Amino acid sequence: MSHTDTTTETTDRTETADDPRGHDSDSEQKIHATDLRVGYPGLEEPVVDTETLVVPEGEVTALVGPNGSGKSTLLKALARHLDAETGDVLIDGREIAEFGSKEFARELGMLSQHGATPDGITVEELVGHGRYPYKGFLEGQTEDDREAIERAISLSGIEHLREKDVSSLSGGQRQLVRIAMALAQETDTLLLDEPTTYLDLRHQLQVMEVIRTLNEERGVTVCIVLHDLTQAARFADYLVALRDGDIYDWGRPEDVVTEALLAEVFGVEAVVEYGAEPRIVPKRALE
Amino acid sequence: MDVSSRSVKAYARLDSRDRRLASLVVGSVVVAFVAAFVQVSQGSYPTPFGTTFDVLTDPRILFDADVWAAILTGSDFPDRLSRSAVIVWSLRMPRVFIAALVGVNLSISGAVFQAVTRNELASPYILGVSGGAGLAVLVTLVFFAGASYVLPFAAAIGGLVAFAIVYAIAWQGGTNPVRLVLAGVVVATVFQSLQTGLFYFLDSTAVVKTAIAWTTGSLTGVGWSQFRLAIVPTLLVVPILLLASRHLNVLLLGEETARSLGMPVEYVRFGLSALAILAAATAVAVAGLVGFVGLVVPHAVRTAVGSDYRRLVLGSLFLGPALVLVADVVARLALMPIQIPVGIVTGVIGGPYFLYLMRRHGDFSEF
Repeated sequence: MSHTDTTTETTDRTETADDPRGHDSDSEQKIHATDLRVGYPGLEEPVVDTETLVVPEGEVTALVGPNGSGKSTLLKALARHLDAETGDVLIDGREIAEFGSKEFARELGMLSQHGATPDGITVEELVGHGRYPYKGFLEGQTEDDREAIERAISLSGIEHLREKDVSSLSGGQRQLVRIAMALAQETDTLLLDEPTTYLDLRHQLQVMEVIRTLNEERGVTVCIVLHDLTQAARFADYLVALRDGDIYDWGRPEDVVTEALLAEVFGVEAVVEYGAEPRIVPKRALE
Repeated sequence: MDVSSRSVKAYARLDSRDRRLASLVVGSVVVAFVAAFVQVSQGSYPTPFGTTFDVLTDPRILFDADVWAAILTGSDFPDRLSRSAVIVWSLRMPRVFIAALVGVNLSISGAVFQAVTRNELASPYILGVSGGAGLAVLVTLVFFAGASYVLPFAAAIGGLVAFAIVYAIAWQGGTNPVRLVLAGVVVATVFQSLQTGLFYFLDSTAVVKTAIAWTTGSLTGVGWSQFRLAIVPTLLVVPILLLASRHLNVLLLGEETARSLGMPVEYVRFGLSALAILAAATAVAVAGLVGFVGLVVPHAVRTAVGSDYRRLVLGSLFLGPALVLVADVVARLALMPIQIPVGIVTGVIGGPYFLYLMRRHGDFSEF
């Protein structure tokens, strides 16, 4: 895809101050949201109010921002968990509201921050629920389903857990199993809401590796909310920084993560260095 | 190699939960049959077990078109039956069948509500059914004292209306389990108070006893007409809920996950709740508010076979009737000649079951 095409397609975006640099992305847009306002019933002010959000196809895009900046809310609106008050969200150029619920679940997967894992079912059975959007009211498991479950289990590296009762797993293992369930959905797009929060370091890395593999080997577009800015900068192809429900900046991590961003968005005085890896050293909280 | 050894292991593991389900089903069937046999042979005119057995297995009765007509359409039992046969088939048998239907309806209703509200301590009455049905019964007794034949319908309709109010209160562009349960508490509390208030308007002890029988759940005096009333909704609800068990499993994963998997959560939740309410209302219409069955049975089945609803619903279908049958034998025969409401017995059995669970688990937060 040529550079000019991308920029003409995204005039909206380049006109706004959100994206002054004009990124050299070869990718097309997977998700494109315009004039999005999202709130909760009972709240007067919308939690998210932003002009344009683009999630490039085949890349890993991370949403970052301080607590309450609207990252999760934005993700929920993209996943149709919340209805936007105004605005359009397009996936592959098609309005998300037009999809049937199972059709949408075959297009886009979403790993929520909270999910229950009932007792007395095995890992394999839980992962099998990922095939729900492929089945009619009465249909049983097909060969396709079994293969998809198999692929999801092996990609998440949880073969050794397959017959374990889900309730016997550790938090980190459980998260990998939940990811496997989302993988069994075999969607082109996967949204993840803070998948590494509360996990130990090893499981954080495992989760990130699974997501990386998924993106690189299967070309799945990933949009992920990350709490840890350093992790986001190291891991994502693109960063979207949110402040008070609006997009503050958008682009390659090295362009977005700056000392100015940390001061203005996170309220932190910090030193940012780029060597082989980005390094963020917070100094003190700003008033 | 790897695949085959794995599937063998998977088979063995599957077997263990299915085996527990199978023993649960077989055990329930045995208990239910023994209880039913005792129930139909004992009473103020005890028939010897041998006679009872003969009456129950007599092909001339079992294949008698007139007997079937009496059961299914309400015509009179034929005169040619012996005295014991009439007592067993026209007086005692309907109570056994109705007890079984009550057990089926309450336990699958409870199982569904435990998934819909994602609360393992939910019962069929959690969304206001008990309050609505109780109030409707009291209103009928106070204002239309002679019209006792409308009580089943009043109870069922009262329960359904209360459910509709609960849903309306809980709805704010959608519902969630917590709002539903809270709305249920609101409606039940208000209706319960009104119902208790109405007790003061009852004139006679007999009417008070009727009111208590309805609000605690009783099978005294039921006949084949109540069976005919209850069997139709049961045959509608049970197959649908058995088929819907996969959707219940997905609902258990939490609302957000269910939505991500492409489930239209609000529709499914409403549809399943409505079916479960229909089941509960069916039980209430023939037996009043029998407590604890809908709470204890799914819970007990879950501890045996796990929370996969394909097994859970099936297990509840068998354990529910067994429990109610046994409880009703106690209710009818233990304190002869006085019969107590079966709901009192289920409560007395159900309470200690939770004490046992509490001891076993240490604390309830692990549920």
